[in-house]
Amino acid sequence: MNLLAVSINHKTAPVKLRESLYLSENEVRELIKKIKNKYFTEGLLISTCNRTEIYGIPVNKDITHLHLQKIITESKNSTTTSADSFQTFISRDSLNHLFSVIAGIDSMLIGDNQIFKQVKDSFQIAEEMQFAGFLMRRVFDSALKVGKRAISETAIAEGAVSVSYAAVQLIGKIFSNLNKKSALVIGAGETGEIAAKHLNDKGISHLVITNRTTEKAAKLAEKFNSYVVPFDKFKDHLHKYDIVISATSSESILIKKQDVEAAMKKRGYASMVLMDIAVPRDIDPASKEINYVFYHDIDSLNIIVGQNVAKRRKEIPKVKIIIEEELNSFFEWYNSLQSAPTIKNLRDHFDAIRAEEVEKNINKFSSEDREKLEIVTKRIINKILHHPIVELKKTNETGTGAEEAATKMGIIRSLFGIDTPESKENKT
Amino acid sequence: MTPVIHFLNVLLPIIYLGTFSVYFYDFMKGEKKFVNVKRLFIFLTLFTHLIYLLIRTSEFDHPPITNVFEIFTVLAFSITFSYFLLELITDIRGTGPFIIIISLVFQLISSLFIADQIVVKEVLKNNLLGIHVVNALLGYSGFTISAVYGFLYLTLYNDLKHNRFGLIFNRLPNLEVLEKLSFYSAVIGFILLTVAIIIGVIWLPSAFPKFSFLDPKLIGTGIVWMLYGAGIFTKFFSKWRGKKLILLSITGFLIAIFSTILTNFLAHSFHSFY
Repeated sequence: MNLLAVSINHKTAPVKLRESLYLSENEVRELIKKIKNKYFTEGLLISTCNRTEIYGIPVNKDITHLHLQKIITESKNSTTTSADSFQTFISRDSLNHLFSVIAGIDSMLIGDNQIFKQVKDSFQIAEEMQFAGFLMRRVFDSALKVGKRAISETAIAEGAVSVSYAAVQLIGKIFSNLNKKSALVIGAGETGEIAAKHLNDKGISHLVITNRTTEKAAKLAEKFNSYVVPFDKFKDHLHKYDIVISATSSESILIKKQDVEAAMKKRGYASMVLMDIAVPRDIDPASKEINYVFYHDIDSLNIIVGQNVAKRRKEIPKVKIIIEEELNSFFEWYNSLQSAPTIKNLRDHFDAIRAEEVEKNINKFSSEDREKLEIVTKRIINKILHHPIVELKKTNETGTGAEEAATKMGIIRSLFGIDTPESKENKT
Repeated sequence: MTPVIHFLNVLLPIIYLGTFSVYFYDFMKGEKKFVNVKRLFIFLTLFTHLIYLLIRTSEFDHPPITNVFEIFTVLAFSITFSYFLLELITDIRGTGPFIIIISLVFQLISSLFIADQIVVKEVLKNNLLGIHVVNALLGYSGFTISAVYGFLYLTLYNDLKHNRFGLIFNRLPNLEVLEKLSFYSAVIGFILLTVAIIIGVIWLPSAFPKFSFLDPKLIGTGIVWMLYGAGIFTKFFSKWRGKKLILLSITGFLIAIFSTILTNFLAHSFHSFY
């Protein structure tokens, strides 16, 4: 299968270059318009913050990886790329790469669960732009199967691999569910926002945000349908919160041990979780000495992240086995699209139908006519199949593109239900 | 049937060890493929154990509750059965090895020392005694499970306090769940022990006219009952929680064990039948 692919990703290019080549959804659609039929009969374009990739079945043999690289660099007028900035693949390797990407083992963050959706969205765009033909649709199906199997059959996407999510994972080891808990997020910056999002996703009952700039806190609170407490007042309300996540850029300690002690007394020593994900720290680490106070800073959260990353790495061989199985399955299907097996299967298929009908009706004929019945029905089948078989053979003899031939075989198999799951069921 | 009883007596600690091993292996490795194997193992263990208890009751013409080693095998069964129900109801499967090992120890001691007791004292052939013992055993099973979950709570609590994120952190349910499991097991144990005590008090004067309220077994049981009662009371009325209650539960369990050993092996008690 002449599937070409090029990829510029975190393994080949620095972030600056990757960012410069990032294509928005509209840019992806525009680019597909430009390259469809000119370079590729069908294909796929993926662009995320960490990778930009093109896969395609070339319109002729003259199209090479260099064309693909040129398409990417020219699309963003990049002058800083070189051949070394790209990985290139062909045929089985292209598929192998796509499967590795969708399964998350090629990601910077092993097992990244966003990449599956991003690739799926790219498939959707290719479909909508009619850039996905008979072959690419099958590629998409196989790739989606790999992604789903990797998630369900391995632990490649399990465990938190970001500090904010690790904080929420740790909270889950203290409280059974968050829908009766209240939380305070101190700091409305990027980290605070991610923490608030994770808490919100986990169904926190009462979320409060505080920030030196109240407007910023209000904006974030609006996003998560939560509340704001003025920055100079939040310590007075500390006892009301089961969870406090602090992520400010303050140079000094914001919450002292005495503040926590006072809050714990007020709340009758009900468990309280303090997550200090700020550098330098916002909460006095000595707070952990107080009973039922679970204090964790970025170092302790990084231990969890490190363990989870190591666990995910251990899952890579299992994912590779899944990829290998799906590659074999794909190429088994693809090879069945060669003309000789298709012709044989087509004949067998029609002959099986003929034989079944003859057997059903054989008693309606006299013993002398039964032999004639066999001959006549076989002749009808031969005549029906004559033209399609000649066409199939011609495709091979005239050396029409392998992909076009495969497409024809595939359509025939699909139309007559040869070797589809349904046809196999009917046979059994 | 006696050879079958002897065979099952040897087999039971082995299959308890097998079940414990599967649970322990799963706890260490955390592989999904063992989830259903564990349940099959525990079910087969309980089934074999039930057959053993029924055959023994039929062959020796009395339920196996007349001496401490008979009681140990029933206790092993009752602890495992209680855990099995708990696992089915809560679907919390990571705590099994910590409970099954206790059943294994009880069954091992029972299998090593149990005798083919055909003749039992007349006083033990009483229906009230049967109800009394069943309630007491189920009650103590509740206390055992409560103590195990309490111990796990304290371990996880300390791990979380000291940034240890190992197997305990990864496999156990959260602190709130462990605390609830420990508390409700203690409540069930307390209710059943209360029933056992009431029946015992009704039955006692007719069975042992010369009994004394200063008997070590009665004192031990009284202390255990009061400790658990105080724990439940403080939870509801004084808002005690977490470590305090857990320590109370573990203390109650240790006193119950100490009281059993003292009554049956060291001190002289009307309650010692062996």
